[in-house]
Formats: sequence, structure tokens, C-alpha cells
Amino acid sequence: MYDKKVVRRRRAVLGALVGLSLILLTAYFGSPTGGIGGGLHAIQRGAQETLAPIESGATHAFKPFSDLAGWTGDVLDAKGENGRLKDEVARLREGLARAQTDQREAEQLRELVGLPLRAGFPVEVDRLTARVIARSPTVWYSAVQIDAGTADGVRVDQPVIAGAGLVGKVTSATTETATVTLITDASSAVSAEVMPDGAHGVVKPEVGKPNDLLLDFIEKGGEVTIGATVVTSGVSSSKGLGSLFPRGIPIGKVTRSEREELELYQRVHLAPFADLRRLDIVQVLRSKPAAERAQVLSP
Amino acid sequence: MTSSPNTVLRLALLVFAALIVQISGFERILVLGGQLDLVALVVAAIALSGGSVPGALTGFSAGLLLDLALGQNLGVSSLVLTIVGYGVGRYAELRDPGHGLIPIPVAVVATAGYGLGIAVVSFMLEIGASVSALVFRDMLLTMLFNAIVALPVFALVRRLLRSALLVDPRARRRRAPVRSGPIGLRGLGL
Repeated sequence: MYDKKVVRRRRAVLGALVGLSLILLTAYFGSPTGGIGGGLHAIQRGAQETLAPIESGATHAFKPFSDLAGWTGDVLDAKGENGRLKDEVARLREGLARAQTDQREAEQLRELVGLPLRAGFPVEVDRLTARVIARSPTVWYSAVQIDAGTADGVRVDQPVIAGAGLVGKVTSATTETATVTLITDASSAVSAEVMPDGAHGVVKPEVGKPNDLLLDFIEKGGEVTIGATVVTSGVSSSKGLGSLFPRGIPIGKVTRSEREELELYQRVHLAPFADLRRLDIVQVLRSKPAAERAQVLSP
Repeated sequence: MTSSPNTVLRLALLVFAALIVQISGFERILVLGGQLDLVALVVAAIALSGGSVPGALTGFSAGLLLDLALGQNLGVSSLVLTIVGYGVGRYAELRDPGHGLIPIPVAVVATAGYGLGIAVVSFMLEIGASVSALVFRDMLLTMLFNAIVALPVFALVRRLLRSALLVDPRARRRRAPVRSGPIGLRGLGL
């Protein structure tokens, strides 16, 4: 026989905790600057700042183990990657020769019509290197914490890259840390362009597939070459509004294209250049290229 | 489980250590694309040893800390881990499991519950992207890894909380045989 008092207490505790979680969940979706939602965001930032030194220390302590696990995986993948890279080098050599010829022609044509050279990524961008100190354990929230914050010039909405390509953007920042939402997060959407085909679309993730992004909203008729590079387009819509990401940040490489009969657009799959599941060091782009900034600000 | 300040401190340190090890250590160690989920495992271990109320309270605290530390939507992890902790605790109270291998199925079910719970809440909130079937593969791998480490983790948690436990199932299982009985039956080996 159960004691009624114990049963009531147990149910009350469960109800209170579930209720509290639901209240937190609802309030958090409110304004991040004012009211209860603002208070919760402030508490969260405080907690992140307090935990940052501990997370940073733990990251250093675990580095040998994560490196060992990474090395094992890399060795297993190396053989297949070697053959793939040889093919890619051959293709890129061919592309480089073509690009150099095109560049010479373009320079001559630019001189003829008097067009100014447009600054683009990564020439005039102020970059800050930071270390990843924590990341979410579920695939539903693709975000990482980095050990640089507002004291280092990091601001919300600044783009973040890894050596190989786009990683995501800063979504919140404290004095010492910042949260970077990755392009594999379910809420992410990046306007992009296929080079050299010129097709525009929006790069979106597929939850659970960090190595396979989708380039959506590409016209069915547009040709997309397998192996072509996808970069940020620098505009967020057809109206020419400025994007958070400067033009020309490499995102990934086209792996395949799907053309469904009933769909208006074709869906292009791409493999991201940055290894988004094993990020150690990232760079925050603290300013946009001068020419790009001028273009965004002008009406 | 007794709720002395010493027990609360031990539980808090245990949950905090598990969280830091998870988000700064195990998150980078990927095996076949999957990884261990220590937070869900520790919550399940505490709930199995302590019962439903300590399980729910630990789950709520661990989830809240996780959401605070990672800048996620507050309340999501705490809601799911509260229910996982309560569920495992109720199982322990109702079935009173004493088998030495019980941590393995408990770890598998708790990990699956946590993964599915987060998925359901995420869908209800704001998932706009398409979802790959590989999500389930990752979930299965996490369940497998958690099952592999369940016995040492549960043993460690039980050891740390032994002084606070009202009844230790392992101690009960090892109860010494009764050597006394009715006078007429003593020494007959019956």
C-alpha cells in the first residue's frame, strides 16, 4: 500500500518541474532585450561567462583524447580521400589554367570600361581567431561556444569561418564568450551562389546530415555542375538587400542535383568545406569588406 | 534517498562534472559519427539509485544547466530530462530491480527517451529544416555507446551516493544466508 502523502508529494514535484520547464520555454521565446525573456537571456549570458574558464580548461584537458579519436577516424578515411583528392587536383589544375586566362581577359576589359575593382572576401576582412570550448550534445541545436566575446570585438550576426569555409554566425555574445549557430542548425539559411554557373539559391541544412547541405530554390532550368563551388552571394533576396555574410565565402562543393517532376525548383546537395562536427579553431569576421559595406548601405 | 546538504552537494558536483565532460570533451570524440551522452546516463543512474523525486530534480537541474551553458532554448532539456529522471526513478520504485545488468537496459531506454523527447519538443517549437533518417542512426549509436559504459558509470554514481541511499539494491542482493531457525531444524542443512 502506498502512502497517499508520498504519492501526492511525488506528483507535486513532477508537476512543478514540468510546469517550470514550460514556463521557461514560453518566456524564453519573448523579447531577448526586455521583460522576462530579456531577464532569462541575461541570466544565460551570465552563466556562459561564468562557465567559460571551466569549459576552456576542460577542452585543453580533453584535447589529446579528441585528437586521438580524430586521428583514428582520419586514418580510416585517408585511403578513400587520397584517390578523391587526386581527381580533384587534376580538375582544379584545369580550372586554374582557365581562370588565369579569364582573369587576364577580365582585367583588360575592366580597364577598357573603367570599372573599379570590387573588394571581396577575404582580402579586407578583419578576422579574429577563437577556440571552440563547448558544443551542444544534440543534433537539433547545432551551436558552439567560442572563447572570444564582446571584449574582443565580437558582435551578434558576425559571420564565422573555419580554414576551409563558412561555419555559421554569432547569435549571442558575452564579454568573454560567444555562441555561434552553425549552418547545420535547423534555423539556418544562407543565400548562396554556384560558381561559375551563377545559379542563386538558399543553403539549408538537413537535420542529422552535417556533411550534406541543401541548396534550395534554384530554378529548374539552371545548370549546376557537379563539383562546382558554392559561395555566399552577399545578398539575402532578389531585392538586393544585404546579407549578413560577405560575398564569396566558400561554403561547399556540389555533390548531386535532384529535379523532381512536381517541384518548381531543383534541389542541389553540397558537401561543406568545413568539418562542422570537429571544429577546434574558427575565425570571426569582425568587419565586412569596405566596398561591400558601401554597397549594403547605399539605397 | 536522504536529502542532507552533503547529498545535495554530491549530486550537484556529479551533474556539473558530467555536463562539463560532455560539452567540452565527449562532444569532440566521434566514433562512426556517434558519441556518448553522459548527461542522460548520469541522470538515469541517479534516478535508478535514488528514486523518482531525486531523479526528476536531477534531470531538471542537469537540463537547465545544459541549456544555460550552451545558449539553447531554456526549458527544452530540463523538460525532457525531468521526465526521463522521473520515469527511471518510478521504474526503480515499482520494480525494485536488483539484477547486476539492469543498468544496461535502463541506459538504453533513458538515452532513447532523451533523444526522442528532444526531437519531439524541437519539432513542436521551430524546426523548419528537413530531417534526415541519419538522425536515428546517430541516436542508435549513442544508445549503443551509453549501453557499453552503463555498468561503470552506474557503479560510480551508486558508489558516490551510497551514504545517502536508504536501501542499496546490491547490498540487499548480497544478504547473508539465515543461519538461525527453529531449534529442531538447526544443523540439519535444510
